[in-house]
Amino acid sequence: MNNLIRAISSAVEMRCASQRIREVSRAENVSADQVLQIFERWAAALDSTALRQIPGVTFLRLWLRRGTLEPILFRELGQGCLHGEWSDQGGVRLRAFPLGVVGHWPAGNIEIQPILSLTCALLGGNSCLVRVPVGLVEPTELIMEKLHEVDSAGLLKRRIFLASFEHSRTDLHEAMAQVVDGAMVWGGLEAVSEVRALPFPHWARVVVFGPRISVAAMDAHAWADSNQQSSWCRRIARDVWQFEQQACSSPQTLFLERGDGCDTTEFLQALRQAFEEENRAHSRQQIEPALTSAICQARASWLLGNLSNRAWFPESPDWTILQGTGLDVPEPTQGRTLTVLLVDDLLEVISRFDGAVQTLGLGIRNADREEALADAAGKHGVDRIVRLGQMHVFGSPWDGMDLIRPMMRIVRHGRSRE
Amino acid sequence: MSTLAAVGQSIESLLATPPYDRSPQERQCALLPLLKQELAYASDQNPSFRNYVEHWPIDYRTAGKIADLPFLPVAAFKANPPLSLVPATEVIRTLTSSATSGQIPSHIVLDAATSKRMTRSVIAIIRSFIGPARRPYLVIDTAENITPQSQLGARGAAIQGLRSFATDVFCCLSRNQTSEPSLDLNELLAFAGKWKDADVLVYGFTYIIWTHLVQPLLRQGIVLGMPKVHVLHSGGWKRLEQQSVTKDVFVRDVAAVLGCCTDRVIDYYGMVENVGVVYPDCQQGNKHVPVLAEVIVRDPLTLAPVRAGQQGLVQVCSVLPTSFPGFLLLTDDMADLIDYDGCPCGRRGTYFRFARRVPKAEIRGCGNLETARYSSGQSSQV
Repeated sequence: MNNLIRAISSAVEMRCASQRIREVSRAENVSADQVLQIFERWAAALDSTALRQIPGVTFLRLWLRRGTLEPILFRELGQGCLHGEWSDQGGVRLRAFPLGVVGHWPAGNIEIQPILSLTCALLGGNSCLVRVPVGLVEPTELIMEKLHEVDSAGLLKRRIFLASFEHSRTDLHEAMAQVVDGAMVWGGLEAVSEVRALPFPHWARVVVFGPRISVAAMDAHAWADSNQQSSWCRRIARDVWQFEQQACSSPQTLFLERGDGCDTTEFLQALRQAFEEENRAHSRQQIEPALTSAICQARASWLLGNLSNRAWFPESPDWTILQGTGLDVPEPTQGRTLTVLLVDDLLEVISRFDGAVQTLGLGIRNADREEALADAAGKHGVDRIVRLGQMHVFGSPWDGMDLIRPMMRIVRHGRSRE
Repeated sequence: MSTLAAVGQSIESLLATPPYDRSPQERQCALLPLLKQELAYASDQNPSFRNYVEHWPIDYRTAGKIADLPFLPVAAFKANPPLSLVPATEVIRTLTSSATSGQIPSHIVLDAATSKRMTRSVIAIIRSFIGPARRPYLVIDTAENITPQSQLGARGAAIQGLRSFATDVFCCLSRNQTSEPSLDLNELLAFAGKWKDADVLVYGFTYIIWTHLVQPLLRQGIVLGMPKVHVLHSGGWKRLEQQSVTKDVFVRDVAAVLGCCTDRVIDYYGMVENVGVVYPDCQQGNKHVPVLAEVIVRDPLTLAPVRAGQQGLVQVCSVLPTSFPGFLLLTDDMADLIDYDGCPCGRRGTYFRFARRVPKAEIRGCGNLETARYSSGQSSQV
């Protein structure tokens, strides 16, 4: 670990770090436009072979471009937000100010998530105190080195403090919570629940992303089209493989709507082939033994549980396709285990969703049908409806929430004079 | 001859063989065709099991080695109703695993034939470690666990499995007013005095021995003075690890309170799903596989068998059961495969050392709605 990410061992260190970056943000205003200029240079600096090996860096380069972020800023904060000026609205002045110090608790399964999280808060002019999960220290450090190279004046880097400490250090989590004005929390149920319960100041805004699961759905016109099957299946495989199927946007179940005279044999064959190809291109380098056990158990319980269930898998735990029928999303196994369920009507499936489903990846031929499905999905708690193959494309809103505005205060100035 | 009769005959022949005499090649030759027969039989008896086997990536009928045969994860036996190959009328006993709170126990159904084989197999294995003689049997548990019942837990099954070595049986724990087990010290001292010069068999779950025998006796400075005991214990180390009690400390203190040498304290590995096969430590500290079984240690990344010296997930194989499909089971345990043959103790075949239970998966994903992935997959050690 070099100087970019500090191993923290005491609450005092945490308080000092927060105080330092808070003073910077109070003393020096930084406009969204200035942040975007630095982000542009950062994106260019990330174009190296070594950095491209880090999952998600290609996306991060796109994310940091002005062309990506400016529309998000305009949508969330209005056209005049770039230079941080007051705007007149109906006789009063409004201006967005940063919350101050924003604490970030990223999930440990997505390499670029500490960076994505802090970029959202930086765009609002905040300082950032980031807890980098122990497993993400190395990629985070490599990416942050490039920011330090391009931010020679230190406009951003002086308002960022990256801390590393063990998940089990409750005292340090508490210390971190006590010194922030806002928090962006990402992760699984246990992690998120623990962070939510930390002693934040009463004014702190805590925004929680996750835990969620995601599903995919196709109508028969799409999946039964033999000219398009391979393409759809490659997209599904890509969505399954990214982030080891552990992200909130990872599809766990694929619902296939039945069609007259349509047989799934050919489609499932194409899906198997796509999984095999994706596995060759992106083979696992390691696995937790508990996940191997869970995958073996998922295969067994699926096939033992119902005589009409089918499954395809290699001798290894590399990937698994479980096929059967049913309207509900089965308990996710993750680890590249996709459950394919045949249904009569996708609307019936969607009507049973609860708030757990974040993203619905669609492969639908008919536009009207897709709009009806999107409408139903929105009503039943789904926050993102996207084309298959794009389930992980990060953007605002995420989990139904803006990314920049929640870490800002919109200050209203009603003039004291006539 | 029916498939079942043919299978039964082959098992009988293996049961009549000394448990550790055969080379790995001889074992493979004997076990592979028998396991295939058993898979065919089980597939005929249980359509669900057939559905599983038919989806296995390698056709078991053409498999060239045991490692290629379809294995079940042990958690498959947590299903309700239990996985069975016999009608309910033929079930004489159901074994349940020692699931801790919040976990679902495994259910293993035994018919008369499987039950009988299980007993004979355990006797053959244990004999190789403590000799054939019958002797007084000191059970570090309560009496309710030695009563034959149609439902038997892991502790009861382990205790009963050793009864064939017993002349007198004495259970030295009883339930106190709060239903907690407590040591009947006076009766234990009387038992120890009566049998102080005799060969005595002692058995208990590892944590029960530590908590309810060793600790009270150490506190009171009592030594039982039974130098010729053999202490067998099983059930895993998890609870002792939580108390930072190492295997060395356990063995030292057990030997101290019983007044015997440390080499008379023998840990063995086993589980109700692999009933009839136990894996005691030899003098070298290794666990051995008897002729009617095999252990395959698999790399969690590929599920391929590991090379000697590597660690992986333990798969147990046994030809003994015909009442449930427990021939080939992937456990939730990790072991170091020491080698496939050649332990200095002289026992032939695969030998290994238990490493740990599969640790709970690290929860880190934003897609993880569970508080613990591994909450229901644990434990069945006896």
